[in-house]
Amino acid sequence: MGTTATAYLTGFGSYLPGDPVDNDGIAARLGGDDPVTERIRRRVLDANGIRTRHYALDEQGEPTELNEELAVKALRAALDDRGIRAEDLRMLACATTMGDVLVPGFASMVHGRLGGGPMQLLSASGVCASSLAALDAAASKIRLGDHPRVAVVGSELASRSLRQRRFDGIRAGMDSHFLRWMLSDGAGAVVLEFQPHPTKPSLRLDWVRHVSLAHEHEVCMRAGMDGAEAVVGRTWQDVDLADAEAAGMFVIRQDVSMLDELADAGLKQFEELVDIGLVDVTHLDHVVCHYSTNVFRDLAFEGLRRRIPTLDTDRWYSNLETRGNTGSASIFIALEEAWRTGRFAPGETVLLAVPESGRFSFAFAHLTVVAPSGQHAAEPHGAPSDQQGASE
Amino acid sequence: MTVDTTTTEAPLEAAGTLADRLADVWIELEERLDRVPILRRLADGTVTIHDYERLLFNLRQQVVDGSPWISRAASNFDIDHFTLRAAAIKHAEEEHRDYLMLERDYVAIGGSLDELRRGRKNLGSEALSGYMFHYADRPNPVGLLGAMFIIEGLGAKRAAGWAARFQEVLGLADNQVHFMQYHQEADGAHTGDLEAILTSGIIDDAAADEIVRCAQVVARLYALQLEELDR
Repeated sequence: MGTTATAYLTGFGSYLPGDPVDNDGIAARLGGDDPVTERIRRRVLDANGIRTRHYALDEQGEPTELNEELAVKALRAALDDRGIRAEDLRMLACATTMGDVLVPGFASMVHGRLGGGPMQLLSASGVCASSLAALDAAASKIRLGDHPRVAVVGSELASRSLRQRRFDGIRAGMDSHFLRWMLSDGAGAVVLEFQPHPTKPSLRLDWVRHVSLAHEHEVCMRAGMDGAEAVVGRTWQDVDLADAEAAGMFVIRQDVSMLDELADAGLKQFEELVDIGLVDVTHLDHVVCHYSTNVFRDLAFEGLRRRIPTLDTDRWYSNLETRGNTGSASIFIALEEAWRTGRFAPGETVLLAVPESGRFSFAFAHLTVVAPSGQHAAEPHGAPSDQQGASE
Repeated sequence: MTVDTTTTEAPLEAAGTLADRLADVWIELEERLDRVPILRRLADGTVTIHDYERLLFNLRQQVVDGSPWISRAASNFDIDHFTLRAAAIKHAEEEHRDYLMLERDYVAIGGSLDELRRGRKNLGSEALSGYMFHYADRPNPVGLLGAMFIIEGLGAKRAAGWAARFQEVLGLADNQVHFMQYHQEADGAHTGDLEAILTSGIIDDAAADEIVRCAQVVARLYALQLEELDR
């Protein structure tokens, strides 16, 4: 078979709009200050453990930015971190749950705002795991030798659909409150190249694995449909918009009763990575895990520790409590902060883990910290990447 | 031919057959190539992605001239040299899109097509290209078979090895070394064609001397092209 190149993460950026908003500042922006909603909010916040988050909303709850702007700011930060320009990119892969507009694709809007030269685009839609799907696609083009430099961004601006006006007169149970007081805005981006960073450490992307179990699970997280099943003639595009709104179709919901099942399925996926040898638990140094609430942090941490007895909290990273749950952006926002704050040393390995409740998808990526290319010019870069073959 | 090698008391001037004389030129070229800085770094494993980019950049400026000089040579073969004319026409046609492959490799490692196409020949490429066009202008430039022997020989015998070594040291994908990989097959076929001509009996002694001399000059200038990167 042909020889492929290796993909390295060489630039990292994130953007979180506005000042951090603490738990007391939420109601001013999202509304819901009646006593019942207040009580539910406190309960949800106690469970999810989020202390501060960011919204692209002003103090009156009016939008301050577009989702595409968040994406571009994170991308610019990643490009600056690497010291290159948008003109140097040959591909842009963008992940988001919902862009600003229905048409065209999100990546087209981000590219238009970012500028640069002609490039390949990918708009990966989905929910939390879509950013790793975008990463996988972009990294594959690097490995094929089709593109030398690409950027990937995960970006979310959920807050505008969490505001009170969406909830007025609508039956909103725990399925919507759980997300309303959990989701927030932000973007995270990475630059990938076929060579390591010349003067700083890089993260070599060893493999990405993305698995959907939608064939055996119902919808868990939804908007635009009336109930858990998509029915012909009854999606938001079929009925009158006013009826769709009245039916609460524009409220994003999650069937919280399915979340234990999601956690179990996610741990099984992790076990499988260990079983087939993609993860060597004796050589796994760090885990960066996306989860929606601290309840799942504890479940996931204990589940992983069953296989990695030496896993302690120092090697487990999440910034959920301070950056909030930013959906598809979360994993890159966490990775950027972990990277910038110097948690990883050359030679160490990192597992990214992203369970997506949408309809049960699970994405993982394995990274190895490598020294600058200048220091090991004589060492063949292709040599240690034999793990790649197993992943494809 | 005899199998008795002890009796080959070759004349001092033109030692041995044409094949032997060309083999000597080749050996001298290989020794010189071993001393070319970028090829030494390639062998040592200290070559950088920048080196590969500059090599492609420099080669491209001369490779675009390849098909034109062969075409010009073709037009200067009269009807008595029909076989050589036919071979040159075929060869020119096969080569005239090669530089596009090199350009795609250059872009695939992050280079700018505009800059590549705005580039100029280095000192060695100027000399090599100038010599080839000058030689091709002669009536019946049979000596150019010696140039083919060197250039196609490099493609067939060395380019794929360079490609594999660049891949090994720099972690490049096949898609980034097409030009060098491709030449192993293509130039292998061309050297086969060339050998058929050289052994066909249409080369007389005077032509053989011209071929060897042209091979010597082209070998030296090709190495010069690799020595004078970006100058």
